[in-house]
Amino acid sequence: MVKAIVIAKNTFQEALRMRSYQIILVFALLLLGSSQLFSFLTPVEQLKMIKDVSLSGIEFFSALMAILASMTALRSEFETNTISTLLSKPLKRSDFILGKFLGMALVTTLGVVIMSVVFIGLILFKQHSFEISLFSALFLIWAEMLVIIAITLAVAAFASTAFTLIFVFFLFLVGHLTSYGFSLSGEMKNPVLQVIIKFFYNIIPNFENFAIRDQVVVGGTIPITYLLKTFGYGIIYTAIALIVCLYFFRYREV
Amino acid sequence: MTKITYRNSSIAAIVLLFLLLSPLQNKIDLQRKQMGFEQRLLLMPGQITGSLILGGFKGLAADLLWLQVEELFHSGQSYKMLPILRSVTFLQPKFVTPWAVGGWHLSYNISVMVKDHPEQEKAWIQAGVDFLKEGISYNPERYDLYFELGWTFFNKVKNYAEAVKYLELACKFPRPDYIDDALAHAYEKNGQIDRAMETWKEIINSGNSFSPTAVRMLHNLKTYGSTIVPEKK
Repeated sequence: MVKAIVIAKNTFQEALRMRSYQIILVFALLLLGSSQLFSFLTPVEQLKMIKDVSLSGIEFFSALMAILASMTALRSEFETNTISTLLSKPLKRSDFILGKFLGMALVTTLGVVIMSVVFIGLILFKQHSFEISLFSALFLIWAEMLVIIAITLAVAAFASTAFTLIFVFFLFLVGHLTSYGFSLSGEMKNPVLQVIIKFFYNIIPNFENFAIRDQVVVGGTIPITYLLKTFGYGIIYTAIALIVCLYFFRYREV
Repeated sequence: MTKITYRNSSIAAIVLLFLLLSPLQNKIDLQRKQMGFEQRLLLMPGQITGSLILGGFKGLAADLLWLQVEELFHSGQSYKMLPILRSVTFLQPKFVTPWAVGGWHLSYNISVMVKDHPEQEKAWIQAGVDFLKEGISYNPERYDLYFELGWTFFNKVKNYAEAVKYLELACKFPRPDYIDDALAHAYEKNGQIDRAMETWKEIINSGNSFSPTAVRMLHNLKTYGSTIVPEKK
């Protein structure tokens, strides 16, 4: 575990130095600031716009950071062959993967925190108060990023850089649509198709679980039980993805 | 551990975790339904909003569409607003403003455009009323749309009984001060003078921002039998 922490620390520092990480963060902060441009709207509408733009921006840019950083963290080790050096030391492959995951989780958390601070600042500036439910939305965005990091590492363990990027982005999109597909399957008369759709619905990560923006921006509250269930879902899916990652990495020739 | 044993253990662990995931997903789905998270997909291909919707950013898409509504209204293209208003309320039914503003556009601004055709004017006013009622079905726990509907009945439709009904509903929720004053006026217009006076007394006792108005209204009602002071001849 200690070795995993060392790898995590190193991964964290390397990711912070990545130009793409810094640029994405700057763009994210610019987007958050740009929500101020809607001053021609009524105060209520402007606040809603700020919340929508900010939460969507935080989710999108965090996902971008998580995918690019995680993919690079693993793929660069393969491409530069530094992994052979690392694994020739008394370092278990599981510690290596766990360390990479923890490092990426830390760097993504830092990105989410920085964007959240700016977001909270904007809201406080506009309405001099901040609803607790907005913290719920930020918490679930962070939980969603853990799943995305784990999935990216799992795919990067066996696939090329281009494939990993395309696959994970595609999964991010599909993950937001599975609920719609599943709700439509209720209209189908073919029981076999319903079973197949239910199977895929349970396999593909359902990122809509983490999407509570629509409720919180209009002042709705989210029960703590929902947060716990969704966080539990995220943890289980992260564990699945890490097991897949470990499986492909364990017997990979380096 | 051999490769086959490791593979079998990994597969067993993954299957077990997916078996845990399935009932948890069912519980999450049930709770989302109870909280009113509807699964609504609006297909608008070829536009930025369509891409945002597909990416799961429905709120942002609804905001962009809402900006279009504002632009169309200010440029006098009121009819073009209607399908976009529908899209906004479809994407985010809990966003109260489009329901309120949409109801106002239908009952007031669009109906006035056809004021020379009484049947059409009546139909547009009714369309506004129906739109607000639909909004209430998605937002039954807020005063906003009950007030909008009550006000539409009071001011536009002149159906004071319905106005009283909806304004009373608005008063069941946390609300701004003017709602109670509007209710008192609706009682008066509906012939429920005692209820009107009671409501104004409650406003006076509460000490809210409409207390001075309520004092005046109560005085006028007792003195002249109406809140409106008759003109001196």
